[in-house]
Amino acid sequence: MDFAFIGQTFLQLLGGIPLTLKLAAVAFLIASVLAVLIAIIRTRKIPVLDQIAGFYVFVLRGTPLLVQIFLIYYGLGQFRPTLQSLGLWQFLRDPYWCSILALALNSSAYASEILRGGLRSVPVREIETARAYGMSGLRLYRRIILPIAIRRALPGYGNELILMVKATSLTSTITLMEVTGIAAKLISESYRPVEVFIAAGVIYLAINFILTRVIALLDWWLTPHLRRPRIVAAKLEPAHA
Amino acid sequence: MPDHSSQPVVSLRDIHKHFGALEVLKGISLEAQKGEVIAILGSSGSGKSTMLRCINMLELPTAGEVAINGEAIRLKVTRNGPAIADQKQIDRIRTRVAMVFQSFNLWSHMTIEQNLIEAPIHVQGRHRSDCIAEAKALLDKVGIADKIDAYPAHLSGGQQQRAAIARALAMHPDVMLFDEPTSALDPERVGEVLKVIRALAEEGRTMLVVTHEMAFAREVASRVIFLHQGRIEEDGPAKETFANPKSERFRQFIATAHNH
Ligand SMILES: Nc1ncnc2c1ncn2[C@@H]1O[C@H](COP(=O)(O)OP(=O)(O)OP(=O)(O)O)[C@@H](O)[C@H]1O
Ligand SMILES: [Mg+2]
Repeated sequence: MDFAFIGQTFLQLLGGIPLTLKLAAVAFLIASVLAVLIAIIRTRKIPVLDQIAGFYVFVLRGTPLLVQIFLIYYGLGQFRPTLQSLGLWQFLRDPYWCSILALALNSSAYASEILRGGLRSVPVREIETARAYGMSGLRLYRRIILPIAIRRALPGYGNELILMVKATSLTSTITLMEVTGIAAKLISESYRPVEVFIAAGVIYLAINFILTRVIALLDWWLTPHLRRPRIVAAKLEPAHA
Repeated sequence: MPDHSSQPVVSLRDIHKHFGALEVLKGISLEAQKGEVIAILGSSGSGKSTMLRCINMLELPTAGEVAINGEAIRLKVTRNGPAIADQKQIDRIRTRVAMVFQSFNLWSHMTIEQNLIEAPIHVQGRHRSDCIAEAKALLDKVGIADKIDAYPAHLSGGQQQRAAIARALAMHPDVMLFDEPTSALDPERVGEVLKVIRALAEEGRTMLVVTHEMAFAREVASRVIFLHQGRIEEDGPAKETFANPKSERFRQFIATAHNH
């Protein structure tokens, strides 16, 4: 194995990290907003919207992400006139935005299910108490329900972020030069796929290692109520003789 | 001392409540004047909790009218039964009516301090610094000042209930509703909570207390109400009513309660 070549490749792949991270971050943010909306719609069983959301989740979870990326990138061209009139074409002909869209939609379906589990686990009594203290609607969600639900969903949700980082590698198939895209280019130049993919694998591993740490820290920081309290050393009374 | 000169703080007029075919409240009428401490007694299933929960609309009555400080709460009739007509009105009225629950129901992800300042800041729109200062004073008053930064799960039941009472007080409510505030406590913890409620009664606060603590009802309440199968069967000044019940059922209820 040519370690010098792996090292050299590694340095070239570093250039793809900003795009990988940007794709993951932007898509994850959009996915989160969608996921909150879908999870609330489905938890509250809002008529019609609930059925639409259920179908949306079913389709996006039931088909491969790669198929979704291709359908959006190659398929949306058929609706070009409509998209042009809506002013969306300049985004949707761009592989970057197609990737963001595909990643966000796909992840929103999974994330909404994770959040839904979190929402279901919020104690009914704590919600009722919030109502009894004058909270309702958005404020009730913002102050009580979502903070509890998100804490409970956090470990699973963190997992979704890791999956997202890995999923960005599929966008290389529609020309994006993120880490995997650069790797593919280097392979076609060098015909040394093993070394190149080892270097790429190390990069994904490093990113996800840092992310898991950050998520664990966030979880620790957000859930002091689930830990045992700091034990304050009891003052011992001197024994009387 | 009850103040009969002004309008009642709580007024229930002919309240009925159905759960499906089951009629749980069968026409409850009740006025609570400022400063009254009303003990609500009755056997299990007689409708005590349901009545209390109709006051702040956690249960929506199927008929009748609830008014707080003379303001009638607006409900509308839908195909699925009664519904809230004006959420803003109910949210506003709920800040005047603080409820203390049997199982404390502190918000588990918040510290005790955060529990106390949550609704005052985010519902009543008061200043954070004022609310924090007041939270400290209230926790001091209920005897758990040292727990201000603790989380509910790290407190004993009695401490949690005292924190919940402090949370209710932080709203500056016009009336406090207690639904069996000591029933979920270990026997040795009951006293510390009753002591706090007794102190509030002595301050002249208006309170409705559902309880199974007979001695407490007799000594602390100014008035006692006995519910039986969704109707008020007995209603009178606490001492006289206990000494001399008009209803035979209440007489029996007191007698069996004493045997426990
Ligand atoms: N949400 C509900 N759905 C259906 N039935 C209910 C509901 N809440 C209460 N009930 C019924 O209404 C009746 C009165 O209940 P309620 O809780 O008011 O009694 P209670 O006097 O508070 O009893 P306890 O002393 O056991 O707390 C009971 O028969 C109960 O089963
Ligand atoms: Mg009850």
